[in-house]
Amino acid sequence: MAVAAPRATPAAQPVQRYKVRTGMFAWMLHRLTGLALIGYLVLHIWGLKSITNREAYNALITSYHAPIFKVGEFLLLGAVIYHALNGLRIVLIDFVGWSPNQKRLFWTLGAVAAVLFAVGGYPSLAALFDYLNG
Amino acid sequence: MASKYGRTARSSAFQWFAHRITGTFLIFLLITHFWVQHFDRVTASISHDVVTHDQAETGVLPRYSDEAAAAVRASQARDGQRAPETPRVVPAQDSRFGQGDADAPGPTHPPAENAGPEPYDVLMLRLADPVYAVLWKGFNLLFLLFALHHGFYGLNNILTDYIRNDMARVGATALSWTLALVLFLVGAYSVIVAGL
Repeated sequence: MAVAAPRATPAAQPVQRYKVRTGMFAWMLHRLTGLALIGYLVLHIWGLKSITNREAYNALITSYHAPIFKVGEFLLLGAVIYHALNGLRIVLIDFVGWSPNQKRLFWTLGAVAAVLFAVGGYPSLAALFDYLNG
Repeated sequence: MASKYGRTARSSAFQWFAHRITGTFLIFLLITHFWVQHFDRVTASISHDVVTHDQAETGVLPRYSDEAAAAVRASQARDGQRAPETPRVVPAQDSRFGQGDADAPGPTHPPAENAGPEPYDVLMLRLADPVYAVLWKGFNLLFLLFALHHGFYGLNNILTDYIRNDMARVGATALSWTLALVLFLVGAYSVIVAGL
């Protein structure tokens, strides 16, 4: 739980400053992608109520084929891949005390993520590309 | 949970542990979900097609692969229902791409395309076989439970970090878990009654 920390004198330090290094950046991005994924999860579950009705479900899935949704799908994939790989890193540290060179690991996983992003994002991007080129 | 520090109902050690377990499982659940919905040539709900909002207004549905169309025809023939479907009326090609007037007579798509399956038919492919239907429903219920627990536990970590007022924090926690419960019930209902 949070402990009330003695505050620096307001005049001397009006704004809390953080030094954003790789680990801090990884942590912030994990939280931000997590929040984005919860937002999508809520909309997704709520939308899929229509699964009990043929017309409503057809309309929902058709809306999933809108150009903007193809872009969103690609961004969603990026959030999922980052959150999954960084989460796996956290689990390995917590459970097996795995502590390799964290900075190198972070960027190595970044490269793995880029490959997954390219492969997984292909359907959305190819569809979008065909659409934009008629 | 009892510990050497005495009984403490507020220990979230189990939740913390479960968060890691659900997170690891979710990777595999998500890969399967993603594969089935986007990559599988037969069952993918999201096809390699773009339908704009205007097209959707005129009743255009996404086109599916030939494999999906064949599987749907075979499934419907087996069930002896909706046999050789009447061609679906699709607006003329010109209006699909924003030229010409929207009232142009259709269909001008090739017949095979007009008879393409609807998204709902593709969904039902996975639920047609009773054994697979039960397996998929089990998979989706597990997926739903894990995703909601993982997501809302993580959300509560963030809420408790930033909400400094005790009452507001308790309120936010109660509200978020209530939302999670509602979503679980709504989602579980959708999964269970789908295709029945």
